[in-house]
Amino acid sequence: MADQDKCILVVGGGISGLTTAVEAAEAGYNAVIVEKSPYLGGRVSRMNKYFPKLCPPNCGLEINFRRVKFNPRITYYTLAQIERIEGKAGNYNVSVQLNPRYVNDKCVACNACAEACPVEVPNDVNAGLDKRKAAYIATEQSFPFKYTIDDASCKKSSCNKCAEACKYDAIDLNMKPEVVEINAGAIVLATGWKPYDASKIDNLGFGKSPNIITNVVMERLASGNGPTKGKITRPSDGKEVKSVAFVQCAGSRDENHLAFCSAVCCMASLKQATYVRDQYPDSKAYMFYIDVRTPGTSYERFLNKIKEDKNISLIKGKVAKVEEDSATGKIIVEAEDILAGGKVRVAVDLCVLATGMEPTVGELKLPDEVKISKNGFVIPGKDGSGIYAVGCAKSPADVSRSVQEATGAALKAIQTIRRNS
Amino acid sequence: MAEATVIKPDLDFVKGVMAAGGESLKKCYQCATCSVVCNVTPGKNPFPRKEMIWAQWGLKEKFVGNPDVWLCHQCNDCTAYCPRGAKPGEVLGAIRKQTIKEYSSPSFLVNMVNNKGLIWLIFLLPAILLGVILSADGTLIPNEEEIKFSYLASTLQIQLIFVPAFMFGAIIGILGVIKFWGDMKKAAGVRSGNLGGSISAAAQEILSHSKFKTCGVSKDRFTSHFLVFYSFVMLGIATALGVLYIDILHMESPFSFGYGTPVKIFGLIGAIGLLLGVVLMISNRFKNAEKVGIGSYFDWLLITIIGVIMATGILSWGTRVMEIGGIAYPVYFIHLVFVLSLFIYLPFSKLAHMFYRGAAICFNKYSGREAEAAVQIKTEVIS
Repeated sequence: MADQDKCILVVGGGISGLTTAVEAAEAGYNAVIVEKSPYLGGRVSRMNKYFPKLCPPNCGLEINFRRVKFNPRITYYTLAQIERIEGKAGNYNVSVQLNPRYVNDKCVACNACAEACPVEVPNDVNAGLDKRKAAYIATEQSFPFKYTIDDASCKKSSCNKCAEACKYDAIDLNMKPEVVEINAGAIVLATGWKPYDASKIDNLGFGKSPNIITNVVMERLASGNGPTKGKITRPSDGKEVKSVAFVQCAGSRDENHLAFCSAVCCMASLKQATYVRDQYPDSKAYMFYIDVRTPGTSYERFLNKIKEDKNISLIKGKVAKVEEDSATGKIIVEAEDILAGGKVRVAVDLCVLATGMEPTVGELKLPDEVKISKNGFVIPGKDGSGIYAVGCAKSPADVSRSVQEATGAALKAIQTIRRNS
Repeated sequence: MAEATVIKPDLDFVKGVMAAGGESLKKCYQCATCSVVCNVTPGKNPFPRKEMIWAQWGLKEKFVGNPDVWLCHQCNDCTAYCPRGAKPGEVLGAIRKQTIKEYSSPSFLVNMVNNKGLIWLIFLLPAILLGVILSADGTLIPNEEEIKFSYLASTLQIQLIFVPAFMFGAIIGILGVIKFWGDMKKAAGVRSGNLGGSISAAAQEILSHSKFKTCGVSKDRFTSHFLVFYSFVMLGIATALGVLYIDILHMESPFSFGYGTPVKIFGLIGAIGLLLGVVLMISNRFKNAEKVGIGSYFDWLLITIIGVIMATGILSWGTRVMEIGGIAYPVYFIHLVFVLSLFIYLPFSKLAHMFYRGAAICFNKYSGREAEAAVQIKTEVIS
């Protein structure tokens, strides 16, 4: 069938993009994933656990990576960015720039290059809580399972230590950017999100103490492949976290920051409360909220289970002041306990700001047929468009909803190809 | 079945608040950011979050004897941090206006002062009053060569008009405070307290502006209010000295001795302070307009009255010294009209805050509420 030669271009290799590509390919269509970072898996690959089942994301990701790896209909490009999209539904011409990885397919991930590399930089995967070399792999579960050399910090041929250390001839520091042209029948935008910059919320103290962190950092702190190997400790001094406060709507549902509800933070904080409670049976967790938004039977059940834990307090009232107690290093969060009728100040070891999702789709160079809302999400297109948004490019969503939407988007993309063939 | 609480919303109250500058009221979704960022609220049952829901629901009776709306200094930290643009600072200002109506009678005067459409009437009434009295005495259009404001309005005329006007305003204000005080005691269930101590503590707080100083985003408002407040004190002293010179020492105005004497010093410092204060007040409002709103008609009316008093005061002095009678007399007349307005509308305009905020600050100490701080939760794990 000739129409199946037209591929579906998927922008973004996170859980939404992977699912779209896999679903389309397994229905018999060609899919191309364009991912800007060196690895697929996106933000999910940096999580400790999924809610509400509290299973590790690797199980979901691993199976998807396997489906990607062995399906000849899926092509993926990492370190790739969209340069230009032209054309119309059924026939888009897309230029993609492939930035050099400086590591080829001969890499066996032996770590010799990282050992030889003299350059140390803050590890962005772990939000800078630890360091990594300029030659690195994100985690031991990364896909593709090969190292990458960070273009920004590597000194290239003037150093050359990694190339000398590599026994497999896998490093080529002279790699140049390339451009590939892709003809696509439909495009799925699965560009995802980034955490809202918490330092913009000046009353929540982010940046004033290392013990005030975001929920994204909390995932790394709790992850076995994170900076502390999964032990949740205070970033300031490595002490065990015996008390934690979760500050909900840190930047979400707020006209001064993100005007919308980020949809996942309530469940994420409830989940993260279990991380601390499981690790330290004598710990206490406080969650300050405007409304606890846990829609659906399974989420509601999860909330009710959390409520049974007497050491987790859910307090109605948004935190609006966060300070460090310089004597003890404790973090003091202040809120009005609305149901009790008074201000409360709680001193905790660790304060987690449940920062929201900022969509990143606006950073792409998109054709005029794609409209972006004032909140930065794609407005669902008119009939006749062959460009679909999915997951957090469309609206804030958790993993399960993103996956469902991705499956739907794969079908929409297939329909576009069939209709225009 | 448990007994149901029946809520009786007063829709007119809601509409009144919304019309009086609190149109953003309904945007509030009760997150309580406002109560936390507020630096002047007590820890227990803090404002303005609870006032927002009471006003949304039209629970007018909750505002009877409620000192909290008056403890609010409208720093507007709440408004700046409000995630919904509900502007609690403006809403509480609008609620205060409704409260003034409850306590300063006759309330139609509050309505009149509040009604943008009647602005001409607000000043026309005192102008007519003054004009009639002065022209009855034949002094409205002085034609002597030397400019003396006493040709326009003699000291006796001034005293006969302005003293009763001031008394009118002050007595209504004091009666309002007495009623308000009783309501506050009833609402809080407070029977007795240390009245003398509370008054002196409240006076200290007001004189030092110690609460006002803690405002965050609009901390400049402390400076402007401080300037205007003490300028009025200075001008009050100058006026008292004037009375002393004229009535007791039987001297004649304008006093011929130079600018080094107390009456002139207080008058000049007061005038300059008022000029700076009013200019600051206006510029602060424009500077913070985007963050916290520019203020309501009620706010601007008072600023206008004070501004005109200041401007005409300085101008009439200047033109008198420069001997421009054609300007000096009309300007002085306008000056008198606005001072008279200030006095008559004392308990009906925004200036009524000096009565009710004063009483609320005092009551907050009297009832012991001020000492109630935030509850400290210690999270030490006992093992």
